[in-house]
Amino acid sequence: MENKVSRRDFLRLSAVGLGASVLSGCSNGLLGDDLFRTKFQEMSPNQVKEVLKRLEEKYSGKYGTQFSVTATPAKENVLFGYGLDLSRCIGCRRCVHACVKENNPSRETQIQWIRDLRMKKGVLDLEKAEHYYSPEQVPEEGHYYIPVQCQQCENPPCVKVCPVKATWKEPDGIVVVDYDWCIGCRTCMAACPYRARKFNWKEPVIPKDEINPQTHYLGNRPRMRGVVEKCTFCIQRTREGRYPACVEACPVGARKFGNLLDPKSEIRYVIENFRVFRLKEELNTEPKFYYFFSMGA
Amino acid sequence: MRRQFNTNPIFMVTLFLVGLVPVLDVRAGSGQDLSLSPAGVLSSPLFPCSTCHAGMEPNLQKRALSFHPEIKIQGHGEPRRWCLDCHDAGNRDSLRLLNADTVNFNESYLLCAQCHGNIFRAWKAGIHGKRTGMWDGPKRYVLCTSCHNPHSPRFKPLKPEAAPLRPEETLRR
Amino acid sequence: MAVTAFQEIILFLRGLSRVVFVGSKAFYGWMSFLTIFVLLGVWAYLFQWREGLYVTNMRDQVSWGFYISNFTFLVGVAAAAVLLIIPAYLYSFKAIKKIVVFGEFLAVSAILAALLFIGADFGRPERFWHAIPGLGTLNFPSSVLAWDMIVLNGYLCLNLFISLYVGYYHYYGKEPKKAILLPFILLSIPWAAGLHTVTAFVYNGLAARPFWNASILAPRFLASAFCSGPALMIIIFQVLRKLTDFRIENKAIAKLAEMIAYAMAINLFLLGAEIFKEYYSDTHHLSPLRYLYQGLHGHNRLVPWIWTATAFNIIAFLLFLTPRTRNNLLTLNIGCALVFIGVWIEKGMGLIIPGFIPDTLGEIYEYMPSRFEVMISAGIWSFGAMLYTMFVRAAIALDTGRLRHPDAPPVVHEEEKGPRARDIMSTRVIAVRPETSIEEVSKLLVSHRISGLPVVDGDGKIIGVLSESDIIFREIHHEPHLVEKLGDMVLPRNLRASDRTGSTAGEIMTSPPLTAQEETPLKELVQIITERKIKRIVVVDKDARPVGVVSRIDIVKALEHISA
Repeated sequence: MENKVSRRDFLRLSAVGLGASVLSGCSNGLLGDDLFRTKFQEMSPNQVKEVLKRLEEKYSGKYGTQFSVTATPAKENVLFGYGLDLSRCIGCRRCVHACVKENNPSRETQIQWIRDLRMKKGVLDLEKAEHYYSPEQVPEEGHYYIPVQCQQCENPPCVKVCPVKATWKEPDGIVVVDYDWCIGCRTCMAACPYRARKFNWKEPVIPKDEINPQTHYLGNRPRMRGVVEKCTFCIQRTREGRYPACVEACPVGARKFGNLLDPKSEIRYVIENFRVFRLKEELNTEPKFYYFFSMGA
Repeated sequence: MRRQFNTNPIFMVTLFLVGLVPVLDVRAGSGQDLSLSPAGVLSSPLFPCSTCHAGMEPNLQKRALSFHPEIKIQGHGEPRRWCLDCHDAGNRDSLRLLNADTVNFNESYLLCAQCHGNIFRAWKAGIHGKRTGMWDGPKRYVLCTSCHNPHSPRFKPLKPEAAPLRPEETLRR
Repeated sequence: MAVTAFQEIILFLRGLSRVVFVGSKAFYGWMSFLTIFVLLGVWAYLFQWREGLYVTNMRDQVSWGFYISNFTFLVGVAAAAVLLIIPAYLYSFKAIKKIVVFGEFLAVSAILAALLFIGADFGRPERFWHAIPGLGTLNFPSSVLAWDMIVLNGYLCLNLFISLYVGYYHYYGKEPKKAILLPFILLSIPWAAGLHTVTAFVYNGLAARPFWNASILAPRFLASAFCSGPALMIIIFQVLRKLTDFRIENKAIAKLAEMIAYAMAINLFLLGAEIFKEYYSDTHHLSPLRYLYQGLHGHNRLVPWIWTATAFNIIAFLLFLTPRTRNNLLTLNIGCALVFIGVWIEKGMGLIIPGFIPDTLGEIYEYMPSRFEVMISAGIWSFGAMLYTMFVRAAIALDTGRLRHPDAPPVVHEEEKGPRARDIMSTRVIAVRPETSIEEVSKLLVSHRISGLPVVDGDGKIIGVLSESDIIFREIHHEPHLVEKLGDMVLPRNLRASDRTGSTAGEIMTSPPLTAQEETPLKELVQIITERKIKRIVVVDKDARPVGVVSRIDIVKALEHISA
């Protein structure tokens, strides 16, 4: 094992040398300094520390505010689950925009990790969903709403198809992306049945006064052009014990979050006391995102 | 706004989020470390009610309220419902339960729970209504009246936030 | 030693550059034409690199587009090289063996272009090394794309090796060692099938996309690839035949056309099977197919494209199915062009785009490539064509001996050993015009004691052959029982009674005629005459003008001469 790592490091080192000579003519702006970074999962604790520090400096300089980039690992005996009460949701999109504020997606290309769908009552056919409803007031007569975001599948089809292992499921069940390892092939986007994955078609742009400097390496740290990103259940918050931003933003309290392994958690209460369903369960993705109805609406 | 007894949910949520509302400990909850944010009349500048009502003779007649014109029972058991079903006639700073016990306004959920038992149970478990804070630590609840005007409890419609751009709108021309 | 090897390489490269880069005006014109597109593509790509894939019309709803469509199609073209290899080496079909190297070079060029399409599509192409085992973390065996990368690059290496190995031996004037070559060739057959199967599986395995998630996808991929690849080869061969001194025989081309007919039959059958399943069961999985063929909820941008493709494929199938249109170079070429365009639409845009429409949340975004995508794609296609042009020039030079080590023995073509048509034919050719009456023809046949003669147009180009049989049949065609009795004796195969009426040479002649070139070897003449049951074969020059006739007696004499 020791041997293998050092061989790989050697290969990388040669690649760096080769690359450096090739790139010496290129301007730094084109390729950036991230070309020869190690994959996050293979970094030693010291390397992680170094990288986090470097990123903090880089982001702090770029956005003019003190950044914190953490890599808080998963807690033991925690498996995150999410509940969404369809009998409550009014489709106001507060969650969508709270998520944007929290997670630093590009404002210019308008990346949003949550999509609110408006459905006619009596219909659950996504093909008949309206994505762009914009009435004066919600809820609207005769409609209900289904917000969709990453379902944090236990059997994630997106992870399986990634050719370079740039995305994986963490021990607490969150599916994350190493933005520095993603090659931007977008196979995961084709594989995701929930359209949870978003691509940076352009260099992300976030106004300085809208940046959230409290970040996680695998979560809301600023991304770059050409990589895929997705909802991480606000890993930067939830790994610290806090609720995700969408849960706190929901004005009707339709969003529930907690530890599936804790019998006293809110999410377990939902599963045990209400009838829940998961989107496209026939695809065997085993989402940890449970839709439920706490009452008639 | 000044005389508003009920709460506009957006207003309340905003107040709540910016931490202007003091957090009170209550006896509700499922044994976790919970705290509860008060709402409604407690944050009204008119509170306590006894300031005016202490010296007034209770008028048991159903009528339009001339001093509180914004208070109308709507969608909450009218026409049988009347002020003194819930407000204690003797002490206007308290609410009155069916068994004639009185409770404070910050325990109003006990009053609501008399009819809405299922919802009360869900609320106690953190399902009905919202919680903020820590999923595995201290949480904050909001009271029923934070979101529901007790006189017309139906959740008020909101203006939705902006719809996403259509992909066609993002194409480079 | 080192110096010698170095000098050898320099010598080879000098020779190579001479045969590859020095050419006719047409060659320079062609290369300049391609260069313009390549440069435009490079310019567009630099722009895409700076701005990101935002300059494409792909969005989160339709996250793969024109690049991946072209990639898929090109992989099919590359896989089709196997079609040439199988008959060449397994059944030693000589005419095809000669041209197999062109198939292999086509595979190499197509794979390189396909890889460029992948590069154009990736958001972070500079991180390609993340997929290199040892250096990065290839997700093998979990990711089908990882399999695809291995299979693609493996196929590239395999074909490069085979062609370079053969080229190397040609260069030194030696026969390639079968013991070394054969295993690689045999390996490349399942590899080619695997290549396209794995590429199909990249899409096929995605349960989120019902349009791709049908088991019929991989068989359809193979069937359509076996149409488009050979169609391209047929066109390329004719261009080569016209522009270079490389000889490719009609027989080889006809064989390919026949294969296309079978492959297209299977392709259309599989398509029909899929259409039946989706439309009859009429579930949600129908939506993408309905979008493609009919339009969905008022969105129908792909509909004209797919119907064009379907019509092209069906017409081409009929053209290749009918021996007369299959053997006629004009209809053959029309068929090839139709197949190529039809499959390009069907296996490109028609396959990739509907996978995303409606998207997984039911949204419909009507994708069409942006001008940047079109420019970059045109650049990659042109680059592939340029590459192939150079490969082919090198291959021809190696085969004809123009590119050869100075110490290598001179080229001896197998056929040159024996007599050729020009050596044994009688050069006294009596030809008639199509409007000549049958009576006159009969007189000519009798007075010159010949059994048949060519029919030529105003330019002296052959358009048919008229024989005794044709005249006899004209007399008896209205007596069906006679036709049955005599038909097999007097008639060349593949002719029908309906063609045999009229009073002029043009009306009853056999057309298109079977002809031979002056260089056609005796062995082949024997084969043609016995197989097709004809008594003579007209020998034509490059412009299809008759220059001689080889009759059965000429062949008998030649054979007698050889044995003596």
